[in-house]
Amino acid sequence: MNYIWKEWKESLRSKGLWLSLGIIIIVSLLMLSRSSGLGVDQGFYILVVNLFESLIYFIPILCLFLGAFSIFQEKEQKTLVMLLTRQESTLSFLFKKSLAIQSVLIAPVFIWFFIYLIPLKFFFAIPFSHYFLFLAALIGFMLVFTQLGVFIGSISRSRMQITGIAIVIWFYFFFLHDFALLSVLSNVTHDNVQLFSIAYFLNPIQAIRMFLESSLGLYSFGNMSRLLESFMWLSPTMFFTLNLIFWLGLSFAGAVMLHRKEGFE
Amino acid sequence: MKKILSLLVLFALILGPCRPGATENLQSIIDEAEEGATIELENKTYEGNIVIDKPLKLIGADKTVIRGDATGNVISVRAEGVTLSNFEVENGSMNRNSSEEYAAIKVYTNGNTLEHLLIQNSFHGIYLSQAHENTIDHVQVIGSGDGEIAGQGNGLHIYYSNKNTLSNNEIEGTRDGMFFDYADGNVVLNNQISKTRYGLHFMYSNENEFKNNIFTFNTGGAAIMHSNGLKLEENEFIFNYGHRSFGILLLSANDNSIENNTFRMNQRGIYIDQSTRNLIRGNHIFQNQIGVELWASSNDQVFTENLIDENTLPAVTLGGTGNHFWSKDGKGNNWGNDFALLDLDQNGIGDTPATYQSSLYELIEDQELTYLFLKSPAITVYEKMNELLNNSKIMFEDEHPLTSNTGKQSLLWPALLLAGGLLFFYKIKSLRK
Repeated sequence: MNYIWKEWKESLRSKGLWLSLGIIIIVSLLMLSRSSGLGVDQGFYILVVNLFESLIYFIPILCLFLGAFSIFQEKEQKTLVMLLTRQESTLSFLFKKSLAIQSVLIAPVFIWFFIYLIPLKFFFAIPFSHYFLFLAALIGFMLVFTQLGVFIGSISRSRMQITGIAIVIWFYFFFLHDFALLSVLSNVTHDNVQLFSIAYFLNPIQAIRMFLESSLGLYSFGNMSRLLESFMWLSPTMFFTLNLIFWLGLSFAGAVMLHRKEGFE
Repeated sequence: MKKILSLLVLFALILGPCRPGATENLQSIIDEAEEGATIELENKTYEGNIVIDKPLKLIGADKTVIRGDATGNVISVRAEGVTLSNFEVENGSMNRNSSEEYAAIKVYTNGNTLEHLLIQNSFHGIYLSQAHENTIDHVQVIGSGDGEIAGQGNGLHIYYSNKNTLSNNEIEGTRDGMFFDYADGNVVLNNQISKTRYGLHFMYSNENEFKNNIFTFNTGGAAIMHSNGLKLEENEFIFNYGHRSFGILLLSANDNSIENNTFRMNQRGIYIDQSTRNLIRGNHIFQNQIGVELWASSNDQVFTENLIDENTLPAVTLGGTGNHFWSKDGKGNNWGNDFALLDLDQNGIGDTPATYQSSLYELIEDQELTYLFLKSPAITVYEKMNELLNNSKIMFEDEHPLTSNTGKQSLLWPALLLAGGLLFFYKIKSLRK
């Protein structure tokens, strides 16, 4: 709890959290103004899908930076060394710090999207269960990229390093991962499609998008071909959950094992 | 004593047990009614099945239900000039081993009116069998919405039936919303069809008209197969979104006119295969993953005055290059922000042709999983890289692209740029600390 409180107070003073929240608010309001003329029934779904597609341009990079800089700040201010020499192990420090960062980042976004329901109610019929699925997808997205940010902050020794690694990771998930899969797509057969499926759903952007669209009932899996049936060998919810577990676990383990105490600049 | 007991058993067999509201009650009311009579039903559940073999009006109250015994059609209309109005029909037979396909209401005759009805728990909703000039208005059909496709019937099944009017109906969760089989000259207005396999399904049905219908959340909005001379105007095809879904499919369909419709957020807006001479004019095709997908077996489609914007791929031609016209009478299509066009003489027509190249056509032809990547930002990089490497092929050339402003400029990208700028400024500032 101390960590969360400390993180909250630090975030209040810094501009990063407010800038990120500001961007999310601006984008969501613009999307709403753009969708307000749509039909009462379909409008909600068009808005949610378009909003998600817009937010995936921002949330990964924002979460990567905020997670990384929050850890690096502990190094810069030498509070990390003090904490680690006194009562904390690296593992427990990173665990508590991750929890604190995740809570402080997710809570304001969650609150904003509750407030967002008010204008939404004026324009559309809102199936609340579907709205919560949208929030679940968004929070899943934030969890993964914030934890990757923690990993970057933990292994980096300078702000420049953080900036470089964050941009590389963002670029990888945003472009390179799918680009590599597109390049081997013509070689996918019924025999190796499951392997391809694992690689496809390793990208959190694809796994979370598929989870959202299928759980909203937009993307149907009826009358699939044999190839597609083999590709979807787990449900989209399972792919989403496993993706979350994999990236949260891997980035946390990486942050603990490759942790560097010192930072300069 | 034995004789008395036998008599009692005999009496019991003859007299009872009597079912409340038994079939013969409603059927006997119908049988006893004179031709042209109006029968007003009470607020209760009547047991079917019933056969109407004389012209009459059957009018329900707010909670009138006619429940079938699940052995056949709940209501069979075998006389002309029958009106069914304002009640619920349920529990038709789901039997697929029968020689007949059952429905909640099966109409075998002409000139009937079916209005303000709710139909559920039946195989087909309403089945017109060689029945002409009927009106189906404000009917709601609710299907099971899941399970195998063959186990579900169609909302409205129109078989060898001509010149019917289907208006203001709502259909959800059936196999096909409306299925037309050898049915010509029908008019379909203001219907809403969702969560079906195909909202509309045409087989061998010509000269039908569709206007102001809304098709959402179907596997395919409208599948038009082996049907000619149809008019589709001002319909909305939205969120037909599954793998390989489409707003409208034209398969072996010729000389159809598709005008002023909206195709939004479909996997493919318009999908054309083995079809010729279709006119696609004035439609709004946007935010689909593929705006128009044309297979080489198709020829001579005319695309004019459409707004085709914000699709991942505006149009692709697959399996070779067919011969299509991307403009008519000097008017092409408005490609939105997909092409930067100059219009120095300000006549609303671009000074240079809009030519679109793509390298994805081969992947789409060969590998169905390509559709899974159409929303990925990597697609843009993939296309640009292949363009640089000269691996792209011309998909279409619109010689007279329209440049007139759509009047609805998106505020999203300026906002995104502003947000990105703020973020960059913040990062630079924090790096200088």
